Amino acid sequence: MKQKTDDQKAAARLKKDFKKWHTDIYGSHKERKPHFQTLSGIAIEPLYTPLDTANIDYLKDLGFPGCEPYIRGVHPTMYRGRVWTHRQLAGFGPPEETNNRYKFLLQQGATGINGVFDYPTLRGYDSDDPEVYADVGRGGVAIDTIEDMRVLFDGIAIDKVSVSLVTCQPICNISIQSMYFANAQQKGLSLNALTGTSQNDFLMETAITTAPSVLPPKASFKVSCDAIEFCTQNVPRWNPISFAGYNYREAGCTAPQEVAFVISCAIACCEELIRRGLDIDSFAPRLSYFLSAHNDLFEEIAKYRAARRVYHRIMKARFGATDPRSLMFRFHVQTAGVALTAQQPLNNIARAAYHALSAVLGGAQSVHVDAYDEALCTPTELSSLTALRTQQILQMETGVTNTVDPLGGSYFVESLTNKMEAEVERIISEIDSMGGIVKAVEKGWIHNEIASAAYQYQVDIESGEMPIVGVNCFKIEDEVLPIELFKGPETLLIQEEKLKRNRKDRNSQEAAKALDAITRCCERDGNLMGVIVDAVKTRVTEGEISKTLKAFYGIWHPPLF
Amino acid sequence: MSKRKRILIARLGMDAHWRGSVVVARALRDAGMEVIYIGNQMPEGIVRTAIQESVDIIGLSSLSGNHMILAPEVVQILKREGADDIKVIFGGTVPPEDIPLLKEAGISEVFGPGTSLKKIIDAINSLD
Repeated sequence: MKQKTDDQKAAARLKKDFKKWHTDIYGSHKERKPHFQTLSGIAIEPLYTPLDTANIDYLKDLGFPGCEPYIRGVHPTMYRGRVWTHRQLAGFGPPEETNNRYKFLLQQGATGINGVFDYPTLRGYDSDDPEVYADVGRGGVAIDTIEDMRVLFDGIAIDKVSVSLVTCQPICNISIQSMYFANAQQKGLSLNALTGTSQNDFLMETAITTAPSVLPPKASFKVSCDAIEFCTQNVPRWNPISFAGYNYREAGCTAPQEVAFVISCAIACCEELIRRGLDIDSFAPRLSYFLSAHNDLFEEIAKYRAARRVYHRIMKARFGATDPRSLMFRFHVQTAGVALTAQQPLNNIARAAYHALSAVLGGAQSVHVDAYDEALCTPTELSSLTALRTQQILQMETGVTNTVDPLGGSYFVESLTNKMEAEVERIISEIDSMGGIVKAVEKGWIHNEIASAAYQYQVDIESGEMPIVGVNCFKIEDEVLPIELFKGPETLLIQEEKLKRNRKDRNSQEAAKALDAITRCCERDGNLMGVIVDAVKTRVTEGEISKTLKAFYGIWHPPLF
Repeated sequence: MSKRKRILIARLGMDAHWRGSVVVARALRDAGMEVIYIGNQMPEGIVRTAIQESVDIIGLSSLSGNHMILAPEVVQILKREGADDIKVIFGGTVPPEDIPLLKEAGISEVFGPGTSLKKIIDAINSLD
């Protein structure tokens, strides 16, 4: 009892002294602007003290790394045990070229593959479709058939290296992931041996990257859940979804929206898979997350920490998960492409390094650092290597790996984490009250939220409220670019030729039967993935599979404006 | 006072990035223009809608690298249809060396990454 009175006395004294300092000492100095806030608009005070963390119950709210609520990290040892995976994104041109880049990055010390696909592949189009001739091989590697997939991973031990397939949208994922699995089977590997991640996020298809025609939200969501269900039953070490908050952020949303939207997506998936009869702990350990690292260092750190606490609470209280791995928010981070500038591009090396620092101080499981030329072109070998070296310098030279959650207990970081958490919870409740994320997409609410935040961001840059070095301050007029830009290899002719050969050489009856089996699976509302893994072995193309799905489910025009 | 400008905003081909096009579309609307936003289209579809909607300007957006193929095609199809009074402008990720090439191909204005909204609005207002 005496202890409590002493504590209360000390707190009262601190409050009084702080007030005095704030008014008499701090107040007698001028600040350089009228208000300070995070990138998402959370107000920031001049100083944080124990008063700001007085409500925190250490054991309940923070705890220990590797223990609930996992806010201080999902592993007990974090980077003292194993450092984050250096997973650099790569993909361009035909599969032969990208295969060489994968091998180059692995030789240079990358510890995972992060494969990105070209625009037509991501949208479910073949390279010879009349809509796509200008985009083949751009933004990623072109994959049309299982033969392309074989070439892409030729000479790479896919039973040893963890591979992330950045398939973005379900319509792409269902074919591309099936080709990856079927290729492994044809090499004589068991699906049990495969480790990796696929993106497979329905929000990507319906709200974030959108194409001339996309699957309606409900259908896209169903296809996404099919892949999760299939992997849960057949590919137990595969992460069948990576909720792509990174891309939501690139499209314009704020840090708290990013976390709220990924968690709302996860809630929808959990509800659907439970409805299908799966036990929460059979699939939840393999749900994974992909977040952005943007400019505001402390807001980003608070974001990662808050995400772990909110997720833990929801998985436990709402879904009754008991496997510790179901309760852990595990995530990959990519540094923010949208924060890079085309002006004075070498400045982006510094930006991306700060972004990566926030990811590591926030406890990321794997990181991709953007290359300095990404606001201008696909990364060159030199810019990709510099990005990988940025990770290696951060890991090996700065000492940030020496202790777990080094900012835990900081009055400021804990206070900001709490504020971030409250805002994330508020947005999740708002989505819940609309009937969940699929409804929020159908009515265009998500699109409007993201577009409004993107517009505000631009307005803040224009007003000078948000300084961007080289863009609205410290500009160089008539700048001569100091770097060589990437020139993409010829892809269209190569892929067209391969598709022609594929159509001629394959057994066309078998292929037609395989596509028919997909339609029949749609009709009985069965799980599509097993059927498609079999189908791609008959050398049906990605475009043929997508057209079959669109013929059944119809198409949708996202309400972007 | 001149009449309100009507502008069609489209994303070229398979380009995945809508942020820039939607932010610009909102800014133009706020600046008093009539904006028709059609999302991703190929050149034929873009020109068809532009003519149907009797727009003054087509604003093209792409960050995918397809601009050197598709943006000039829009200009050529407008000519073929006798609608080359419609001006074409472009915004997106463009290597600096492509800017003069796009202008030669008949694109009136090219806006690279980091261009201010004000600059875009002023440029559109000064197109006759």
